Amino acid sequence: MAVLSNNNNNNSAVKQNHLVITMQSLCKFYEMGDQVVRALDSINLDFGLNDYTAIMGPSGSGKSTLMNIIGCLDTPTSGIYELNGQNVAEMDDDELARIRNKEIGFVFQTFNLLPRLNCLRNVELPLIYAGVAPEEREERAAAALVKVGLGDRITHKPSELSGGQIQRVAIARALINRPSIILADEPTGNLDTATSREIMNIFGALSEAGNTIILITHEEDIASYTHRVIRLRDGKIESDTTQ
Amino acid sequence: MLMRETITQAIYSLAVNKLRSWLTIMGVAVGVFSIIAVMTALDAIDKSVESGLTSLGANTFQIQKNPATTFGSGHSRNLYANRKDITWQQALLFKKEMASQARTIGFIITSMANQAKYANLTTNPDVTITGGDENFSASSGFTVLYGRNLSETDIRSARNSIVLGYEVATTLFPSGENPQNKSIKVNGEVYTIAGVFNKKGAAFGQSQDNFVLIPITRYLNHINEKSSLSITVEAFSRKDYPLAIDRAIGAMRLARGLTIKDPNDFEIRTNESLIDSFRDIQRAISTGAFIISFMALLTAGVGIMNIMLVSVTERTREIGIRKSVGAPRATILRQFLFESLFLSFAGGLIGMTAGIFIGNVVALQFNLPLIFPWVWVIVSMIVCSGIGMIFGLFPAWKAANLNPVEALRPK
Repeated sequence: MAVLSNNNNNNSAVKQNHLVITMQSLCKFYEMGDQVVRALDSINLDFGLNDYTAIMGPSGSGKSTLMNIIGCLDTPTSGIYELNGQNVAEMDDDELARIRNKEIGFVFQTFNLLPRLNCLRNVELPLIYAGVAPEEREERAAAALVKVGLGDRITHKPSELSGGQIQRVAIARALINRPSIILADEPTGNLDTATSREIMNIFGALSEAGNTIILITHEEDIASYTHRVIRLRDGKIESDTTQ
Repeated sequence: MLMRETITQAIYSLAVNKLRSWLTIMGVAVGVFSIIAVMTALDAIDKSVESGLTSLGANTFQIQKNPATTFGSGHSRNLYANRKDITWQQALLFKKEMASQARTIGFIITSMANQAKYANLTTNPDVTITGGDENFSASSGFTVLYGRNLSETDIRSARNSIVLGYEVATTLFPSGENPQNKSIKVNGEVYTIAGVFNKKGAAFGQSQDNFVLIPITRYLNHINEKSSLSITVEAFSRKDYPLAIDRAIGAMRLARGLTIKDPNDFEIRTNESLIDSFRDIQRAISTGAFIISFMALLTAGVGIMNIMLVSVTERTREIGIRKSVGAPRATILRQFLFESLFLSFAGGLIGMTAGIFIGNVVALQFNLPLIFPWVWVIVSMIVCSGIGMIFGLFPAWKAANLNPVEALRPK
């Protein structure tokens, strides 16, 4: 399938014309008492296959809301959001869960691993919900951990790992189900500079391997690793530059 | 998600909070224990009821002032309390009427809590003195071990003859000798031993052999405690039995001087009626036990719900993570529901095992047979799953419907 992105087949001629995400007049409003907060106001955005994008903006600019909608954790108030040609805006909770499972790999600032499970069990979690058989699950989870350089930490629990290692486990989990996009929310926010660089190198490698990556950050030097920077302010796109 | 994963995850989550899980399980266990223990004991008693309560001989019934047991209060109790005793005169009148209709007619009058003495040996002051006649042994199912039964002459002449129940005999004559013609004292009165009855054994843990039999004529003359007589009637045959009861009712109404409008002021006791009255007691106990256990289980259910709600709150982030990687609502619901089901089932199993064990220990104390109360085991398992379901549903539903954005938000 052309949309599967974490393989090494970098056939860019086909991919660059293919849009993974299309957003048209996307709005998200919240009602706070009698005030309406326009968290996202008429957003028009496209993300192509193999895009490596940073979304930036000050607090309250709407970048978290945008990430929640891109990640199918939330739905827009109005507008169109198509992910691989499927209109996500009209999906119910269970359909959204299926999309999150198949199409999206999350990497969070706070890692969000299950503390009681070891690395292997954490990484195989999406496969459980995808209905993959236990033997295949373990095999694929172990392979993903090897890929992020943690082949020798498979049975360790998150509490036994460093911050950078935990984030690499989270990246392995995000990759495990071969998602259409990898969505990282401040993935280096809790890491020191050296470890941040290490994580950004992994993202760089993943991008080169053909993955579509969207990164939320407020740090310019992190954004500088990406190929495209979208800046938000007050729920609107302030700029969209390719670098 | 596969069922196996759901089960593993649920058990794993419960194992993390061991103490909390155990306490919740114990709540259910207590409820199930109480119902199973009582029902096991009752079932065991029930099994021995037929043998224990068929104390009357074959084709025999008794006429007494009051029923074997009375239930309820107010009207029915006053009704019995106001009944007049069956007197010796009424009994003789009855015998005259019924003489040709029955094989034997015997009279019994009893006095509780007496003491018998021989040489330096004394019984406990709990011996029953039974005033009876020569028919007593046959109609009550006693056979003679040593010596003889009371004779017609004993009755007619109101002699001081006495036949000892097996327990009284073994207390006063521990060496097991034949005590015939020896003299003993009962409540200060001297009696000559005519014989000893064979052992009948206990019914409901109470000895049936802790008594002495003296001629009813002697009893009426020498013992001050005047209680109501009971009349034992043995019909000619099984076939004749219902007819004999009808005639006895007629004869008794006549002897008691009742007019046509008066209701019977006496009771007919048959083996069946004794069993029936036992069933009344059994029903009352089981209803009580059921209500109490139901309350206990309800409380346990609330406990489960409470713990599950705490668990959902504590694991909000976990739920958020699971949802973010694609867990559908039904899976989350199943996971939490299974946890509460597991808690209540584990409690049910523990309570059931303990209940059957204790119930049977109680049964053994009364020399009753061992019992496995299948019906109650099934009922309590159904009730337990119901409790797990009902009280686990709301917390599980709450977990399943958590908004993933809210659930993942750092606290």
